[in-house]
Amino acid sequence: MAYEAVIGLEIHVQLNCTTKMFCDCPNRPGDDPNTNICPICLWLPGAVPRFSMETLEKATLACLALNCEVQPRSAFDQKVYYYPDLPKGFQLSQHHMPLARRGSIEIMDEKGKPKKLRLHNVHMEEDVAKLVHETEGRIPISLVDFNRAGTPLIEIVTEPDMRSPYDAMEFLKALRIQLRYTGCADCSMEHGTMRCDANISLRPEGGDQLNTKVEVKNMNSIHHVGNAIAYEIKRQTESLINGEPIVLHTRLWDPEKRITTAMREKFEGPCVPDPCVTQILVTDEWLQNMASKLPEMPNQKINRFVQQYGLMHDEAAQMTLERELSEYFEAVVRLGASPRTVANWIAAQLLPAIKERGYEFTTSPVTAERFAGLITLLEKEEINSNSAKSVLIKLFETVLTPEEIMDQFSFGQVSDTGALGVIVDQVITENASAVENYKNGNKKSIGFLVGQAMKLSKGKANPKRLQEIFKETLI
Amino acid sequence: MQEKLFTYMDSSPSTGLNDGLLGEISIAIQPNMSVRGWPIEAGSRALEGFTAIYDATVIKRLKQAGANIKGSICMSELGFGLAGDTGAMVLNTGEVDSVLITDTMGEARMAACMAGVIGFKPSYGIVSRFGLIGLVPSMECFGILAKNLDDIAKVMSVVVGNDSRDLSMPEFGSGFEIPNFSQVFETDEPIRTCGIIKECLEILEKDESRAFDAVISRLVKSGLQIQEARLKDFDLDRIVHNVIGSVEASSSAGKYDGVRYGHRTNTAKNWNEMYMNSRAESFGLLVKNYLFQGAYFQYENYDAFIDAARIRTRLLAQTEAALEGLDVLMLPTRHAAFDPFSACTINTVYDVFSWTLLSNITGHPAITLPGMVTFGDVDLGLQLIGSRFQDARLLSTADRLIDLA
Ligand SMILES: [Zn+2]
Repeated sequence: MAYEAVIGLEIHVQLNCTTKMFCDCPNRPGDDPNTNICPICLWLPGAVPRFSMETLEKATLACLALNCEVQPRSAFDQKVYYYPDLPKGFQLSQHHMPLARRGSIEIMDEKGKPKKLRLHNVHMEEDVAKLVHETEGRIPISLVDFNRAGTPLIEIVTEPDMRSPYDAMEFLKALRIQLRYTGCADCSMEHGTMRCDANISLRPEGGDQLNTKVEVKNMNSIHHVGNAIAYEIKRQTESLINGEPIVLHTRLWDPEKRITTAMREKFEGPCVPDPCVTQILVTDEWLQNMASKLPEMPNQKINRFVQQYGLMHDEAAQMTLERELSEYFEAVVRLGASPRTVANWIAAQLLPAIKERGYEFTTSPVTAERFAGLITLLEKEEINSNSAKSVLIKLFETVLTPEEIMDQFSFGQVSDTGALGVIVDQVITENASAVENYKNGNKKSIGFLVGQAMKLSKGKANPKRLQEIFKETLI
Repeated sequence: MQEKLFTYMDSSPSTGLNDGLLGEISIAIQPNMSVRGWPIEAGSRALEGFTAIYDATVIKRLKQAGANIKGSICMSELGFGLAGDTGAMVLNTGEVDSVLITDTMGEARMAACMAGVIGFKPSYGIVSRFGLIGLVPSMECFGILAKNLDDIAKVMSVVVGNDSRDLSMPEFGSGFEIPNFSQVFETDEPIRTCGIIKECLEILEKDESRAFDAVISRLVKSGLQIQEARLKDFDLDRIVHNVIGSVEASSSAGKYDGVRYGHRTNTAKNWNEMYMNSRAESFGLLVKNYLFQGAYFQYENYDAFIDAARIRTRLLAQTEAALEGLDVLMLPTRHAAFDPFSACTINTVYDVFSWTLLSNITGHPAITLPGMVTFGDVDLGLQLIGSRFQDARLLSTADRLIDLA
């Protein structure tokens, strides 16, 4: 019997608010241990949680970006459990009345067809403290860092709409793009600002029942999620073939061994309404105000880039992957460079160069102005594309303008017929057999000759002019 | 004597020379109100050695008004019930003018009733809870014991009002106002009508009934209008308070793990045992029972909690309806005939407080006046429940009723 996988994800995303969720402590979990703490996030006796408006605003923007229905009334519950990372004995989360319900994200499936993946709900939750396990001499000790306690999270719970590791990975990529666009979250699985648990079950292909699921945790990249799901599908398929029952439990992904292993069951505590944090009432007016703060989202932007700039769909999709990238692209185009050239140069040259040097678009020394200058030189044929690549490198290394670099490092393109004619003559003399081939009708030989001429000119000759001169000379 | 009544006395108390509004008032508090630098053990070994690192908003306001906060009294564990509480005794020694005690089930009113003084519990939400250590956040409330209404009004006028550190307080100004306690007794607005609750009177003993009837007929003779009000689910307050209270207590007390402060066990092999043994050695039997019960509803019978929350909403609606067109509801502050100070099962504690629970459940303001409901050996307090956020009016009504009776 053929089985199909039924996959749902639970994703925790850290909101990049300035403060924690219920107190004024800075939301900087990475600082020196226990420096961002106060009686509230330590939950000392007498502390009263004070829900931060910024958390509500950023969480709401995230919900809107995910096409969710923000609920007019939501509330916090206490998720009760006892563990050293949670010394108050409960975690404030929205279990019974989440901030938003439903919602969806569209992906392209393996066959390239659009597929809508539904969300079940999005709710707010405080993060817990971080346990650090060390040794003191030979004695193992556990330390608790409260910097993370009370930092704001949203949890996104999907419907079990995914059928393959590919679906899940595409979902996470699309989710990350949407959320990063809002400016509310960084969504880095590598840095732990996005964490994903996957629920996986199998059923006979084409069925509609939901069978016992297995939860997999501890994946810290999108690829790990794909690998862990693929492994789990294989493992469960083998179990079913061997007639072993699937039992509800949690497994951990081991990225080294590339397997999942059963973990000791974490106790699921009850959820009771919190009596201290007031219910959250959201009015239509406030919600409209929030919606007006939402930037143009990727899908709208792709369509606009296609129409306004004549980009191909793929090019537009690439230029909108990140909000900063799309804004950079538009800034360069506004300075007069032609959109498709800009898109291709960003994708093929600038992006890899920025990544290689560890910059972001916002911190890169190649500002939109300098990059636009470079593209303009290229388009005016003052430099050829070889030289343009060299100028780009210099743009990272100096503060000069592209023109200054071109002049100072003599990257200017030689288009002068006289100067090029000398080179052409020399190439013809030195490559008699290629010349012979060309004359005998092998038109491809001219490419070789132009290449030789480029070499002689140290890459500065205008290849188009070279070709013309060769053709004229070798008639 | 003092040593037994007080658990801590300020070594450098204010001289009372301050010209603030409370410059001539001295106060004792329960050691569950944070005063910077004071031991705040809330009557529990679970907070043994815990010292407050900031002032509760209430304390900050009292200090600013010049009040002389003399020290803290003995209190029941985490303010649950009255076992061992010395508040009313300290007041009766004349050492202080007012005692502040948490009212979760009616403790302020009941302590007052037993000691023959006045006990007041304001509307839920008009006094900041920041820095107050409690057990049942949705029911408990700052309460006051005093010998006269004047002192209560003075203290209230200082502590009342919004606090940016406690956002659970309602937003005043949008439909209702912060009660104004400054000229409570100068009003000439006549008392309209007072209500008596049919469902309460039906369960009074014969002598209690006589005592209550007597005060009512005195008031009627003095010209007061009395009207019968209905509170169909009055007898459900006990179960509602018990279920919701224990559930909230169970989570509220979750933070007492003996790790950062409080008693920590010597006998543990791992952290799990450390939690369990520390907690087992810290809590008294009564609180332990209450926490167990709350955990039971959380883990095993959540539906009962949902039912209780639903009935609570109904009780609120019934109380509001009963108060419609009335100044106050009147009922006795009745208590069972055994010694409440040694009560140590949940049931016996609820027996003591069954007549004061209502306003903790609904958040209405309530006050107990001594010496007015008497017959033979029977001496019940007269309890008045006012409309929410009409606390000042409740005090002025109480003032006039004392005159009328
Ligand atoms: Zn804090």
